[in-house]
Amino acid sequence: MTTIRFGRLTAALLLVAVLTLGAAALSACGSGDDTAASSSPSAAAAAGPITVTDDSGVEVTLEQPAEAIVSLAPANTEIAYAVGAGDKMVAGTSYDDYPEEATALPKIGDFANPNVEKIASFAPDLVLAAGGIQADLRGKLEDLGMTVYVVDPKTYDGVIATIENVGKLAGTEDGAAAVTAEMTAARQEVQDAVGDLPAATTFLEIYGKPLMTAGADTFIDDMITIAGGENIGATAGSGFPNFSTEVLVQTDPQVYIADSGSMSEPGEIDARAGFGELTAVKDGKVYIIDDSIIARPGPRLAEGLRALAGYIHPEAETAQ
Amino acid sequence: MSKLARTGTWPGILLVSGMLAVCLVLALALGPAPLSVGRIWQLLFAGPVPGDLDNAIFWQIRMPRVLTAALVGAALAVSGVILQDLFLNPLTDPYVTGVSSGAALGATIGIVLHLSNLSWITVLAIVGGLGTLAIVWMAARRRGRIDVFVLLLAGVTIAYLASAVVTVLMIKANQDMTAIIYWLMGSFSGRGWPDVRIALVTIPFMVLPLFFTREMDIMLQGEKRALELGVEVERTKRMLLVTAGVLTALAVSVSGIIGFVGLVVPHIVRLLVGPGHRGLLPVSLLAGASMMVVADLLSRTVIAPNEIPVGVVTTFVGAPLFVYLLRRGRRA
Repeated sequence: MTTIRFGRLTAALLLVAVLTLGAAALSACGSGDDTAASSSPSAAAAAGPITVTDDSGVEVTLEQPAEAIVSLAPANTEIAYAVGAGDKMVAGTSYDDYPEEATALPKIGDFANPNVEKIASFAPDLVLAAGGIQADLRGKLEDLGMTVYVVDPKTYDGVIATIENVGKLAGTEDGAAAVTAEMTAARQEVQDAVGDLPAATTFLEIYGKPLMTAGADTFIDDMITIAGGENIGATAGSGFPNFSTEVLVQTDPQVYIADSGSMSEPGEIDARAGFGELTAVKDGKVYIIDDSIIARPGPRLAEGLRALAGYIHPEAETAQ
Repeated sequence: MSKLARTGTWPGILLVSGMLAVCLVLALALGPAPLSVGRIWQLLFAGPVPGDLDNAIFWQIRMPRVLTAALVGAALAVSGVILQDLFLNPLTDPYVTGVSSGAALGATIGIVLHLSNLSWITVLAIVGGLGTLAIVWMAARRRGRIDVFVLLLAGVTIAYLASAVVTVLMIKANQDMTAIIYWLMGSFSGRGWPDVRIALVTIPFMVLPLFFTREMDIMLQGEKRALELGVEVERTKRMLLVTAGVLTALAVSVSGIIGFVGLVVPHIVRLLVGPGHRGLLPVSLLAGASMMVVADLLSRTVIAPNEIPVGVVTTFVGAPLFVYLLRRGRRA
């Protein structure tokens, strides 16, 4: 009895093992072919291994510049195109909408639910992942032999550093340098304009119901500070915390900026309960900002920073 | 039997009314934006006047939020009592009839269609909730009578189905996922006077069952026995089901899905005043309101300026209290 059952179990296990091995062998062949095909035209820029440290503090090493890049976030896609690695992009996310060419890329799912099998099927030599909800994805992708760079900068300069790193990994340092020069210039320009002005208390709404803001240790907080604002959200902790409406009204920000885009539609801000009394509403300093230039840690933050400065210190532009 | 049950219905109701009054005063007096007692007294008599931030905090933010919480808590507790006793099932809560999942589906459709005007989402939630009730109703109707067990099963099934559709919509329109998740989680954050107006509609539906407490008491012995005792079972059942459904749909449409109050408040009150509906219904109504007001007070103050989801607080407050009362009730 037991021997029969044991025999059957062994047979079953063997069958499973054989099928698994077979499948693994097949997929290995498949991916081998793919990499061979896509990396054959490279060879040109072989100058030893490239090592950079990503935003999660992990050292990322590539033997040669990446030739097949998969992006797991719209910001990462923007970075890749901006540094001139657009032709190396093999797949992106269904949220990718900038630049225009990126919309035509094959999709690996969306930012929140990237499909690991799908990512692997493109046999990328570099995966540009995001932090937060994608944190446990790194292990899975690395187990499959992929190299992962996590884009999760906490400051404006951190975004610049990450863009430089992606440029190095993709072998497009010159393109990256042009982008970071523009971002640094925007920073300098804004700092010169608002430098001596007193900081204006600013609330940045990430989401309206329930009210959520950008807290400390975020590149948005950093940008508000650079643009001459005092971020009220920083009092609520780090990351993207929810925020009490009562405290908001009592704090009475001088400037109210609401993020708008695919994720949130702020609607009529001055019509919300208790908002009519806000100084920002009375002074007409309520602004809607496109979330793709403020909430995506990519090259367009330069544009976002200039916009923030214009909202927080409209008087500065005339002073310049 | 406990002290409350022995002292009769009215003292119990008065006691819980007092408790609710204390909760309301606390909830209005305390908040993440500190206002002194003197200031609140002043604001209370000044009425809502423009041009004053404290006044806006008190009259436009805190007051409607507290009132919405009270009404939603009361509605869920009354709905819980009705459904538990109708289904003769202690695990029943206002959400088993599928009404809440239907409401969630309605709200999700509103969010996905980007009807950013919030009252549209509320209207769709009410429509979704009542539509589900109608479907479940039709499923359970046989030869002119409603089979409550079929209704319970149909309700649970439709609830699963509606949740599945919500999930599909979340994945299809995934840029709206955050909005849908926050709606489902339930909150009183940012609720204003328009929400209070919707919640006020629950009052007649909470009062209505108070006129049928005798029928509800008899029906606890089963439908057959109730028929023998001359209760118009089908009519009463229909009235109670619609009442509970409307209460749930309205509550969910203004606050999202907040668990535990509708399940546990009726049980707690039963342990205190006994199963007689003349005491159970009004005391549950007042206790449900009190519990939700306190839960919301904690949710907005404990980690201010951040907020804890109110459903988490109702569970944290309710679960230990319930276990304690269960143990005490068994010993007595």
